Amino acid sequence: MAGLELVSDAGFRADGRRPDELRKVRARLGVLARADGSAYLEQGNTKVLAAVYGPHEVRGSRSKAPPDRALLCCRCSSAPFAGGGERRRRPPQGGGDRRSGERALLLRGVLEGAVLGQLYPRSQIDVHVQVLQADGGELGASVSAAGLALQDAGVALRGPVVAGSAGLAEPPAGPPVALSDLSAAEEAAGGPRLVVATVAGSGQLALCQLSARLHQERLRPVLDAAQAACRGLHAVLDGVVRASDPLGDTRTLPWPQ
Amino acid sequence: MAPPARYCVPGERLCSTEEATAGSGTYTRHGFIFSSLAGCLERKNEDNELPVVSVVRDSESQLLPNVGAVVTCKVCSINSRFAKVHILYVGSTPLKSTFRGTIRREDIRATEKDKISLGDAQSNYLLSTAENELGVVVARSEAGVQMVPISWCEMQCPRTHTKEFRKVARVQPQFLQT
Repeated sequence: MAGLELVSDAGFRADGRRPDELRKVRARLGVLARADGSAYLEQGNTKVLAAVYGPHEVRGSRSKAPPDRALLCCRCSSAPFAGGGERRRRPPQGGGDRRSGERALLLRGVLEGAVLGQLYPRSQIDVHVQVLQADGGELGASVSAAGLALQDAGVALRGPVVAGSAGLAEPPAGPPVALSDLSAAEEAAGGPRLVVATVAGSGQLALCQLSARLHQERLRPVLDAAQAACRGLHAVLDGVVRASDPLGDTRTLPWPQ
Repeated sequence: MAPPARYCVPGERLCSTEEATAGSGTYTRHGFIFSSLAGCLERKNEDNELPVVSVVRDSESQLLPNVGAVVTCKVCSINSRFAKVHILYVGSTPLKSTFRGTIRREDIRATEKDKISLGDAQSNYLLSTAENELGVVVARSEAGVQMVPISWCEMQCPRTHTKEFRKVARVQPQFLQT
């Protein structure tokens, strides 16, 4: 593997983390006053904002309203100043391009498994996610932020939705090492990247997306690393949700140190 | 001072279905009751049956009109076949965003509230005034003055004394506010 050495001889990654260590996570609920639910999530340098509106009446054509469950409309976009790792000829188009559309489709698939849609027939729930700064793991962060925003909005869920990513490093000397929570530099190195989302910490996957090629014998350690990333993130976000006590005014709480 | 209520998150296992029945904000799976909202756990003890476990969020979660609910709405357009309304309140809780509903002409009647037939696929909420307590609560005459009900089907304007036909609701006295 040319270029960046993903794991040094001492076992540290390029940003100083160990292979199974996650980036620093900060999250906050209720950051937007007008939305029914909102959440802000930082994973390392990746910053994502999610807003949920609903459940409300189906806008537009009424015939799209499914009679027995809620209609989930997801929209992912990237701010023009978000960066995005590699140099791009065109800046992010704010949600209309193909990558955002694909991300929105995946997000919708995950959320349809988590939201108890039967409780809201003939209604629509809008989920908007915007990436403010991209430094790797935007899909996972978008899914996790959307899960937090749904909890803040009071939409009935089967369980909290968290997502994590993992990759593989093959150092010249030594066995291949699975890396949890890839940053942008590690993603750009060209190795495989597996993104996984779980609901309710049940161990069952709501999303599993692999890019680049991975030998089937290496799949198990990478999958375990991704699920461990989900569990670690869940432990942190669980504390954030519990700390957002509705009896107190969360908007005046100091930023978690 | 009451003991602090336990705060639970979605997906948290509360108890088994043998100890309690699931209330709002929870769901059951594999014989256990799980929370589906992030809120405070409430346990209500019923005398003869199992206690009801529910999860409550402080702000009213979005309430949707469901079949059989009594709603308060405002008419926004009328023609000879039906009236279109904005549904404002479900029961006594206001809705954050109004829903659209339709009252068909044949559904404005005194009795037989279960006889609404859907016919073609409707995508609006269908309403009916087929009960004594249901019907017009507030109306303005053509002079712009609020009308006074005379009988179950007539209202009179106090200024011009003209009578107009409305299906009047017989509201319980304790709900009337002058």
